[in-house]
Amino acid sequence: MILVVMDHDGNELRKGALEGVSRARKLAESLGGEVAGLVVGPGAEGVAEKAKDYVSKVYVVSGPDWETYTAEKWAKAAHAAAEAAGAKVVVAPASRTGRSWTARLAVKMDAALLEDTLDSWAEEGKVYATKYSFLNRVLEKQAGTLPAVISVKPNTTPLAEPAGAGAVEPLAVELGELEQKVEVLEKIAETGGKVSLTEAEVVVTGGRGMGSAEAFKLVEELADLLGGAVGSTRAVIDAGWRPYSEQVGQTGKTVQPNIYFALAVSGAVQHQAGMNKSKVVVAVNKDPDAPIFKESDYGVVGDVHQVLPAMIEEVKKLKGA
Amino acid sequence: MKYVAIIRQVPDGESKIKVDGGRVSLEGATMILDQMDEYAVEEIIRLKETGGGEAVVVAFGPERTEEAMRTALAMGADRGILITAEGYVDPVTQAGALAKILAEEAPDVVFTGGQQADWDSQALGPAVAEALGWPSVTWTTAFELEDGHARATHDLDEGAEVVRVALPAVFTTQQGLNEPRYPTLPGIMKAKKKEIKKIDAAELGVSGSKVEILEQQIMELERKQKVIDGTKEPAAAAAELIKLLHEEAKVL
Ligand SMILES: Cc1cc2nc3c(=O)[nH]c(=O)nc-3n(C[C@H](O)[C@H](O)[C@H](O)COP(=O)(O)OP(=O)(O)OC[C@H]3O[C@@H](n4cnc5c(N)ncnc54)[C@H](O)[C@@H]3O)c2cc1C
Ligand SMILES: Nc1ncnc2c1ncn2[C@@H]1O[C@H](COP(=O)(O)O)[C@@H](O)[C@H]1O
Repeated sequence: MILVVMDHDGNELRKGALEGVSRARKLAESLGGEVAGLVVGPGAEGVAEKAKDYVSKVYVVSGPDWETYTAEKWAKAAHAAAEAAGAKVVVAPASRTGRSWTARLAVKMDAALLEDTLDSWAEEGKVYATKYSFLNRVLEKQAGTLPAVISVKPNTTPLAEPAGAGAVEPLAVELGELEQKVEVLEKIAETGGKVSLTEAEVVVTGGRGMGSAEAFKLVEELADLLGGAVGSTRAVIDAGWRPYSEQVGQTGKTVQPNIYFALAVSGAVQHQAGMNKSKVVVAVNKDPDAPIFKESDYGVVGDVHQVLPAMIEEVKKLKGA
Repeated sequence: MKYVAIIRQVPDGESKIKVDGGRVSLEGATMILDQMDEYAVEEIIRLKETGGGEAVVVAFGPERTEEAMRTALAMGADRGILITAEGYVDPVTQAGALAKILAEEAPDVVFTGGQQADWDSQALGPAVAEALGWPSVTWTTAFELEDGHARATHDLDEGAEVVRVALPAVFTTQQGLNEPRYPTLPGIMKAKKKEIKKIDAAELGVSGSKVEILEQQIMELERKQKVIDGTKEPAAAAAELIKLLHEEAKVL
């Protein structure tokens, strides 16, 4: 049996849940057994009615104790469901929160942890996965023993199709002392843009060379014209020009759009870690020796305050045509 | 109070990665204290400076990790404990050995890096916490002690939250937590005399790894690097760029 922990927003399954189901089905082909699901948290009962179309059985953990997320609680719920299902492999999304509770789960199960995987499969009682390492610059293949916990890098896997109705089973999980040690005092909402940065097909990033918060109006304008999202570098966040939620890089978000604009960005390795898998990279920088040009397909050497307005005009012409 | 930072030594991200025989070769690479762990070391030194107590650095890694540990001692940590093992050992196995040392040391607060610059792993902090039966908070951007608890702000997938955590607990770092100091010359001199206790991982029951790395390859994409000079006629350069993106790259 494989258990897939299905992420949701209280109403609908998230894409990560369906990516997880695809992975779990592939693992089940080799390891045998069926795929069970787990939904946890507010709205879980309703979501379970949708989740059951993808798995043979959905465990539901909900109630007053499960209104807020903590890594301790989610690891406990997943452990309880894995035991109920007799699962040797647990699959979960490699979101930030997912990566923190799956590490705890792996310890509980004394399992091999395959983290942030691009693909995964099983052969002869072992699990295998590919993932990036060394700041996203190396692709590696790993093998893990059973039991195993596998987290799925977002946007790497085809979404599963429904496969007929499974059963829904509430699972009572009591909080122990450990699960009550973290109290959530306050949520700080993200001031995110209209388009999700991590899912955007177009990302327009401004760097320190933009010079001011006001100058980002033009970055926003280009992003809007192309239906894309705005990104920022660490230097821009430090300057207080943009919210942290827009940071692209090692300690920010990883993006993989069709086209990535790096405007007045030097191209530090920590920044590249978040964007070096973009399909086409375009750079504008006044310094012909800026490292970003080596990481770009197309570049313009010039002053961003002159080149960017002209780019916007050209895009408008193109869209108008 | 006692504070611990769990650190690692990693190749400097600025140096080029080489692969030899299907494995990353660190030969010739500049090895540094992981920059995400620098925040952990800085935080425990600050806690000690404001409230007294002891700041200890702990690591699991090959012998060479001692160099990174000396950097942490030069920044101001008091002493180090290094669990030695050559070759790859997965974070879950490492956590088991680290937890044995931490259970003995009994610190109040543990910090470690939010993500490792070599394995791109985020697991060590929460795994150590689980092995100890302690809570964990990841991607911490603000930290404060208050009556036997900690109040921390940390990043989630979307947005952030403020939590109150019963100690002892493990926190992983995020940029913004602090500005790590550079080791001073007197600090470096003093660090040479500070104690580093070494323990063979085998003595802590470590025999192998649950995860094995089979093959590695460089994944840096080939870029076209077509550069247009826009210093004299920026509008013409912009027009050429958009044309290339539309007609050649077909992404607009
Ligand atoms: C542990 C760690 C993690 C980090 N994580 C991240 C991360 O996740 N994301 C991140 O982005 N950074 C990260 N950094 C920081 C990173 O090292 C760089 O410092 C940062 O990316 C630099 O941002 P920048 O390119 O905007 O600024 P700079 O490096 O200052 O570059 C500005 C560029 O703008 C150009 N420029 C200036 N004026 C103009 C103009 N008028 N027209 C055109 N071009 C102009 C300059 O030539 C220069 O190339 C991290 C650092 C550490 C230590
Ligand atoms: N060791 C470090 N610790 C924390 N932040 C750093 C460190 N190195 C670089 N940065 C960040 O990266 C930006 C560029 O710094 P620098 O690498 O010194 O040019 C600064 O704004 C810092 O916020």
